[in-house]
Amino acid sequence: MKKVFALTMAFLLLVPSVSMAQTNSGPTAKTPAADLRATLSQLLSNHFVYQTISMTKTYDGAKDVEAVNEALERNANDLKKAIESIYGKEGAEQFEKIFDSQYENTPGLAEAVKNGNKEAAEQAKQQLTQEFPKELGNFLSEATGGNLPADTAEKVLRAHEQDVQDVFNAYVDGDYKKAYQTFRTGFDRMFDISKALSGAIVTQNKEQFNHTMVDTKAADLRSSLNQLASEHFALATLEMQKGFDQAEDYDFVTWAEDQQTADFKSAIQSIYGEEAADQFEKVWQKDHIAAQSQVVAATLQDNKEEREQAEERLQDFSQEFGMFLSQATDGELPEDRAKETVWMHEEDVLMTFDHYVNEDYASTYKSFDKGFAYMYNVGETLSEAIVKQMPDTYKMMPSEMPDTGLGTSEQTGSTWIWVTFLSLALLSGGVLATRKRA
Amino acid sequence: MGMKWKTYFGIVGIAFLLLLGYENNVFANLLNQGEQMKQGEEVEQVASLEESTYLNEEEDQMNDPLAQEFTVLNQTENMNSSNVNTDDPEERKDEGIVPTHLSIPAIDVDTQIEKVGILDNGQMGVPDSTKTVGWFEPSTKPGNTGNSVIAGHVDSYKGPAVFFYLKDLEKGDEVTVTDKDGEKRTYIVKALESYPYDNSPIEEIFGTTDKKRLNLITCTGTFDQETNNHLERLVVYTELKETEQQTKEKQVEKELEAPQKVEVNGTFVTWHAVRDKDVIGYRVYRSADGETFEKVASVSSFERKNYTDPDASEYTYYVTAVDENGNESEPSKKATAN
Repeated sequence: MKKVFALTMAFLLLVPSVSMAQTNSGPTAKTPAADLRATLSQLLSNHFVYQTISMTKTYDGAKDVEAVNEALERNANDLKKAIESIYGKEGAEQFEKIFDSQYENTPGLAEAVKNGNKEAAEQAKQQLTQEFPKELGNFLSEATGGNLPADTAEKVLRAHEQDVQDVFNAYVDGDYKKAYQTFRTGFDRMFDISKALSGAIVTQNKEQFNHTMVDTKAADLRSSLNQLASEHFALATLEMQKGFDQAEDYDFVTWAEDQQTADFKSAIQSIYGEEAADQFEKVWQKDHIAAQSQVVAATLQDNKEEREQAEERLQDFSQEFGMFLSQATDGELPEDRAKETVWMHEEDVLMTFDHYVNEDYASTYKSFDKGFAYMYNVGETLSEAIVKQMPDTYKMMPSEMPDTGLGTSEQTGSTWIWVTFLSLALLSGGVLATRKRA
Repeated sequence: MGMKWKTYFGIVGIAFLLLLGYENNVFANLLNQGEQMKQGEEVEQVASLEESTYLNEEEDQMNDPLAQEFTVLNQTENMNSSNVNTDDPEERKDEGIVPTHLSIPAIDVDTQIEKVGILDNGQMGVPDSTKTVGWFEPSTKPGNTGNSVIAGHVDSYKGPAVFFYLKDLEKGDEVTVTDKDGEKRTYIVKALESYPYDNSPIEEIFGTTDKKRLNLITCTGTFDQETNNHLERLVVYTELKETEQQTKEKQVEKELEAPQKVEVNGTFVTWHAVRDKDVIGYRVYRSADGETFEKVASVSSFERKNYTDPDASEYTYYVTAVDENGNESEPSKKATAN
């Protein structure tokens, strides 16, 4: 009898806290699985950006190419660390070996094309599109215990390397529209890769990720916003560099930026409807995209007054856009915090540009790292606010569970289980107490 | 006063007017539409037309409205060396040739060139022969940068001389000089000017210029029997013909393309740049009713190709490209918000 009582008491103490936590939280974009997905997205998409600009800048013989290659290496190190946190030192080292060949071959290929060394170019191409995807595909498949099938991994990695080369080839051909169209496709693909990879890792290590999933609606929203925000940062900084250099592809970066704005707008539309989307577009363009370009124009003309004016516009934007976000999320994202968040981004953009203008390229790409990563905070903060604002929309419905049944429904289902359990526990406890007295 | 007097004054008056008209060549002008005007007059007309566009180029740049409308960045500021516009290095090194032969197909001139210098009285020398022309040896060698000068007689006691028809040259005609090895330099007629013999812009004709010019001089105007001198001098300004590549670029410039893909999205009017290095900017026009357009913005070519208008959704837009010579393209397709 005593034993049963003790057990029940333990449950009584334990259950409410778990149960309460569940009922209060509802759907969330901040889960360990979604965190992993976001981390991999950030590292991989940044990797893609550095790969493409490393190649094009190598080809151009640009002054900042060394700094870009250093940044590419830094990014590879960060990826290694992420692998290490999951698979330990040995796994990380294995990964590094495979990965090293890739970030060396990428600028190597550009160098070979530039110098007209066909043999070396062919060899690097072979490495990048054949051997590397195979090796890394095998590694990932093994590491994830087959959760990411080797041929799937290989295929997607090959497609990625092809994206990078397509961007480069179009750039060399002067077909800049195609170059930046492919850039956008390739950037997008990195998010498919991170989703598949993080999914496989989470499935393999359910405990470690607290049985959360990478592909909940909330996690998808977070990933979409991460992608939109970080792509914007990449294109904005690139646009400003190209504008400052008056590079031939400048107008095509701005073109890509406008396409990106359209994508962002339709994302807002799918969440908040047409009117909000129109409003978003206006705010986004007027004192933001246009003002960032004004910064460049001011610098080119060495016009301090115009620069100040442009910065004021960016300040206005952070105010306006912060207000927009706060209102859109019904205050889930507090206005002050929203404004501050937006302004931090503008500061990153300005700093990255100013370092570039001052020819401090090492700092340029450190700022880029920081500013790019920061967009993932923006995505996280914003998605969480939206999910909290519309919990019903981002609740995972059991009917939408995949057939493979990789996990259990994490929120709704378990809440009911716990509530039922708590009731039963209370009831049985009551019964026990009654019996004892009796 | 009777009828007779009226008739008399009428006839005398008409006769007077006719005579006056004859004296002033009114009829010749009316009949021939100016085709066969007196030498000096025609040239003067051409000259006055050309003057502002040709010779005063530098002054023009000072008050160039284009320069106020669009900012053209200094080429040397470009970071990307591949974008820097370099002239043909061969041409740049051209030191010129010593001309021995002149040919102007348009007026059937095909003659030897002699060298002439400065006479004791300070005048530029001329060849003794009326069939050859004289290249002013101290001037620039044809092909090199600067003013090269060739003079020839317009007539002699016997009649027309080598440069008699020089006045008939038209803008665009070709003038070719050849050296003893057969190496050629071809020039294009840019302008005809006539000046009083004692008040010609010597600096303009002989002085320094960053152009590659060949100036042909002869006499024109009324012949003054007293001084044995024509009262004016005709100067035909020509410029070195551009290489084929440059000509090609010029042709592109003439067919200045209108911007493509003009779109209105939100507050942005965007378009694709015209890929022509002579384009210095764009003009954005908008209309509330779709018919009458007004210019609302000028965007320099180095800037982002967009115009921000908070009320963009309420207007129709088109965009034109403008080149460094002020040529404006046809309007682009009109665009409105979707």
